[in-house]
Amino acid sequence: MEINKIIESGLMETYVMGIATEEEVQQVLSLKKEYPAFKEALELLEYDMEVLAQSMSIEPPASTLSKIEHEISEIQRRNQALQTTFEPEYRQEKSNGESRQEKYIQVESESNQMRVNKAWKWVFIAVFVLGKVFLACAIYFYLENRQAKEQIKELKIELKQKIR
Amino acid sequence: MFKAVSNNPSAESKDIRWFYDQYAPMLPGYINGIVQDHQKPEDHLVAILTSFVKDVVILQEKCRLNNWLQLRQYAQSKLTLFAAKDHQLKPHPSLNKGRLDLLDDLQKRIFCAIYYHGKSVSYLAAAIGCDESEIRNQLKLSIDKMRRTSGN
Repeated sequence: MEINKIIESGLMETYVMGIATEEEVQQVLSLKKEYPAFKEALELLEYDMEVLAQSMSIEPPASTLSKIEHEISEIQRRNQALQTTFEPEYRQEKSNGESRQEKYIQVESESNQMRVNKAWKWVFIAVFVLGKVFLACAIYFYLENRQAKEQIKELKIELKQKIR
Repeated sequence: MFKAVSNNPSAESKDIRWFYDQYAPMLPGYINGIVQDHQKPEDHLVAILTSFVKDVVILQEKCRLNNWLQLRQYAQSKLTLFAAKDHQLKPHPSLNKGRLDLLDDLQKRIFCAIYYHGKSVSYLAAAIGCDESEIRNQLKLSIDKMRRTSGN
């Protein structure tokens, strides 16, 4: 049969040894899908390669596992620290499509402090400066107005005196 | 298992231990075939297993091989510097040979060059002085010989 010839061709061996060309890899994958016998033979070969590696195994030193666990927990600790740093930015990006109310509900429920978007800082500064400008303008125009009124009053008195 | 390793902290330690028990003894044997320095295999083992567990989710999506073959290829890629050395096409003398002793000289050279050093069929054909089909044939014969001893 055709498939038996392919199984015997050495294609599976080059594939499991990791030296198959891209074309051969694609061929193996399509044969694996198409022919259950090929799939079974390939899985058996993969298993046998594992058994072969077991026959050449060497027991690692006893401390190796704890070293690996320590390394992995270090990596995870670093990742968690990074995640914590980037979390607010991520939340901000994520909630672009969400309403502002939704964005702050959780914060209010967790503490008495309110977290405000940094962009609001400039709005507050602008409002404060504008407030000062308006106040200055109001005082200036009030004084101007009072002075104008006094001048009118004086002019009226002068005019009355001239008429007499 | 791999997704559990990366996503489920409570299952993590147990899964790493399982993975270690399954594959850790196989890996030093493999590393020993590539790295000449006897002091280094443990360092390599720790580095490879750690980064494998870390990177494996990405690999899992790309790779179509079983765990051991995936790990072996990963280790080979990590040890590229050692594997890329212009070796003499001879198995390392201190290698834990196991079933390699079943192979004749040519088969042993071909199998070790591919298995440990990832040499291509075309490279070996040029280095040994025969055609590619002969290399493929010898590779298959050597794997078949070793498989037969385990009853397959």
